Amino acid sequence: MSSLLLLTRIGGRPAAFRAEDISSIIELTGITPVPRAPDFVAGLAALRSRALTVIDSRKALALSGTPREADVRAPVVEVGGHAYALLVDRVDDVVAAVGEPTPPPATLGPAWTPVARGMIETTAGPAVLVDVAALVAGPQRAAA
Amino acid sequence: MDDLLADFVAETREMLQAIEGEIVAWEADPADRERLDAIFRFVHTVKGNCGFFDFPRLEKLSHAAESALSDVRAGRRRASSALVTAVLAVIDRITDMIDAIDAGEDLPAGGDDMLIAALEPGRDEPDSETIQAGEKAGPRAARAGSTRSIRLPVELLDRVMSGVSDMVLARNELARRLRDHGADPVLQGPFERLSTILDEVREGATRMRMQRLEHLFGALPRMVRDLSAELGKQVMIDLEGGDVELDREMIESVRDPLTHILRNAIDHGIEPPAERLAVGKREIGIITVSARRTGNRIIVAVSDDGRGIALGKLGDKAVAAGVASAAEVAAMTDEQKLDLIFAPGFSTAAEVSQVSGRGVGMDVVRANVERFGGSVSVSSKEGRGTIVFLHLPLTLSIVEGLTVKVGAHTLGLPRSYIVEIARSVSRSVEVDRLGDGIFLTFRGERVPCLDLAEVLGLEQEVDLERATFVFLRLVSGDLFALAVDRVLDNEDFVLKPLPPALEAIGLYGGTALLDDGQPILKIDVPGLAEAYGLASHARIRTAVQEHGTEQAAAPAEHAVVFTSFAGRRLAIRMAAIRHIHTLPVSAIELTDGGVLATVDGTILPLLGTEGGTLVNDTITALRLGDGEFELLYAVAGIIDSVELPGPVVPLEGDETLEGTALIDGAIVGVIDAHGLFARHGRAALRAQRPTCRLPGSDPWVASFLEPLIRSAGYDVLGDGDGRAADITVTLDAAEDTGPAAAVVRLRSRPEGGERDPDSIYRYDRDGLLSALARACPGARR
Repeated sequence: MSSLLLLTRIGGRPAAFRAEDISSIIELTGITPVPRAPDFVAGLAALRSRALTVIDSRKALALSGTPREADVRAPVVEVGGHAYALLVDRVDDVVAAVGEPTPPPATLGPAWTPVARGMIETTAGPAVLVDVAALVAGPQRAAA
Repeated sequence: MDDLLADFVAETREMLQAIEGEIVAWEADPADRERLDAIFRFVHTVKGNCGFFDFPRLEKLSHAAESALSDVRAGRRRASSALVTAVLAVIDRITDMIDAIDAGEDLPAGGDDMLIAALEPGRDEPDSETIQAGEKAGPRAARAGSTRSIRLPVELLDRVMSGVSDMVLARNELARRLRDHGADPVLQGPFERLSTILDEVREGATRMRMQRLEHLFGALPRMVRDLSAELGKQVMIDLEGGDVELDREMIESVRDPLTHILRNAIDHGIEPPAERLAVGKREIGIITVSARRTGNRIIVAVSDDGRGIALGKLGDKAVAAGVASAAEVAAMTDEQKLDLIFAPGFSTAAEVSQVSGRGVGMDVVRANVERFGGSVSVSSKEGRGTIVFLHLPLTLSIVEGLTVKVGAHTLGLPRSYIVEIARSVSRSVEVDRLGDGIFLTFRGERVPCLDLAEVLGLEQEVDLERATFVFLRLVSGDLFALAVDRVLDNEDFVLKPLPPALEAIGLYGGTALLDDGQPILKIDVPGLAEAYGLASHARIRTAVQEHGTEQAAAPAEHAVVFTSFAGRRLAIRMAAIRHIHTLPVSAIELTDGGVLATVDGTILPLLGTEGGTLVNDTITALRLGDGEFELLYAVAGIIDSVELPGPVVPLEGDETLEGTALIDGAIVGVIDAHGLFARHGRAALRAQRPTCRLPGSDPWVASFLEPLIRSAGYDVLGDGDGRAADITVTLDAAEDTGPAAAVVRLRSRPEGGERDPDSIYRYDRDGLLSALARACPGARR
């Protein structure tokens, strides 16, 4: 079974989203910052008549290192009735999955393990398959 | 066929809903031909329809009801309450059958014959008795014909709504681009037209979701009738404001709380008929449900004239239920005690009845109402009744708001909380920093203030010298202020719920898009107040108040500055002013005792006319009062209402002035209100004039005595007036004086004083007046 994946890079590493999780990809033109919001919430953006919460994926993973300029294109996902736009390093391509995802290996590290559904082989190489619900919940999700 | 059946079910249900209120109204007034016709039409329609579908039982039932009602219409029968009950039972059975048909089940069997038999005229109801229905109905306006309508799923409406919102945003974007690129007139015309149409469509789409409260009210009379019958009480319901429109989802959400409040009112509020009669009330209790719109909120008030809430008992109960300790209850104000009924696990009824049950209390009502952004409050007078207020937002999702700017951020404040906006530079606000807190003194009130920038954790605090203060009043009555950089605009927010990550901050109540498509956050005002301890908790509040008065400087006093008739600029303290009147010159009378003027049926002395001439047809006068006496002060023109800056400097030489003050760079004389009342107050008439009863038969009394007594400041009671007079005056006779506090006896001749030493010769004017004054010290002489 070959499903489609959206391949992106977060913190320089390949990260894949299942195509059915992504409702659209938008070009983020302006982000309205939210005072007192947790770090990984970059702010709000408008998609047609609704407000999107913009998630900085790198910070949601609590990745260290100097952040690179994010792609202006952002995948939009819907979790629990709320729409989120995900800031990623780069939106690469839509690729076909090769085979089924495999359980995440322990060596992914503390940042990636909580958001990984597993590893997936794609036509463009292997990637971590990202659980969007875990990603938008931010770094405190481990407790939940 | 299935489609037809579904239509039949839906149509019948709609009619059922519409008819419920009519039936009870008809019972209350059986002569109401219009109601009778409506009910008759209903059973007639059902009969016709079910014949078509072959539901013989339904047909039989509706036929029986139809014939009974038709007899009433023809005047052959009287609409007794037995008949109404029977018709209601038939309608209930029809409802059950419709439900069964809808569910595809068999109709519940049996019992139809009994219902039909109940419709037959009973023994207690003579057939011969007829009613004059036609005469009494009179020429009432015909009910508006039913409008054509279709049923739509709510989701579809929501989709249309959001589509329209998207179109509006796209339109705004297009408008901006057209402006930026220099509008081509060829495009501008059609664009304007599109824009106008879109606005109309948007308004229509918004209204599609609105429903009249009537839909909710329709079911209430029936409910009240059934409940009161069950509880052995007599209750009438009065509905007002059914034409108020509310979001249909809101109507659904309010249904349960309202039902519960009504049940409480009937069960606990309204007394049994015998008890009501014993305390001198009408046997029938009245419950009024009224709705009105104020701004963006709907207030639904449910009031009953029952026994009210006994605060003492309430406190005991609370202690017994473990809601509060005895000491806590003892320290509570009445208001706080009333609030106890909202405490979880609390029930005031001595016995748990079947109707109110024990499970759902007012705490659940409050929780439910607050969940959709409303609030509940209650007020009650023991022995007089109880009123429960439901404050509801107009819609679940649209909130009128104010956008404010702090630093680079734009935020929304819901307008329902905002009571006032003041700018720092206007000098009407005094800012004090005490500890880490900011306090404002505004209109004599010390108000805690939050720096919104600080709340939001911004680097740059709001510059208090140039800030704008938004005063917010919480539902609990507490007032606080938010300091912001700037107030931008009024906008309607279409609120969307927050994602969990933002909700957890506890500061925001939703997101919304402005007209230009920019997303903003709405501040959660109650949440903010709670987080900063500004929300009212009994003990905290009193502590703050005591603290506040200790620190507060003398509250600023306000005054009205005006030009006097003599051309001087004067001021008078606001506290003394009751009202500003515009009087026609014809209401002014010059007398030897000074200038008088008639206002609202009383005669008051008019001051301040010296040195001027009445050139216009009307004059402006300030009505001053010290609580007991009132007088008028004429002014040539009112200049402004100001805060009295600093102390009033005493002035020698002019006894009418308390002193002078510097207002807007000019010296203004401040009128000595105390002196004014000291000099003229005695001449002013008491608001409530004492009454005097005079012997009625003597023509001398009517033409000589009565005018004198009236001018002396008494109301004269006629012979037919049964009120107790303060003073009774008799002439020459020892006639029956009636109930009076004092008697003044007059005699017609100067001599004869030795026979009745207390009597007064009728032309002894001074003697008479001083006797009157002695008899009733409150009156002027």
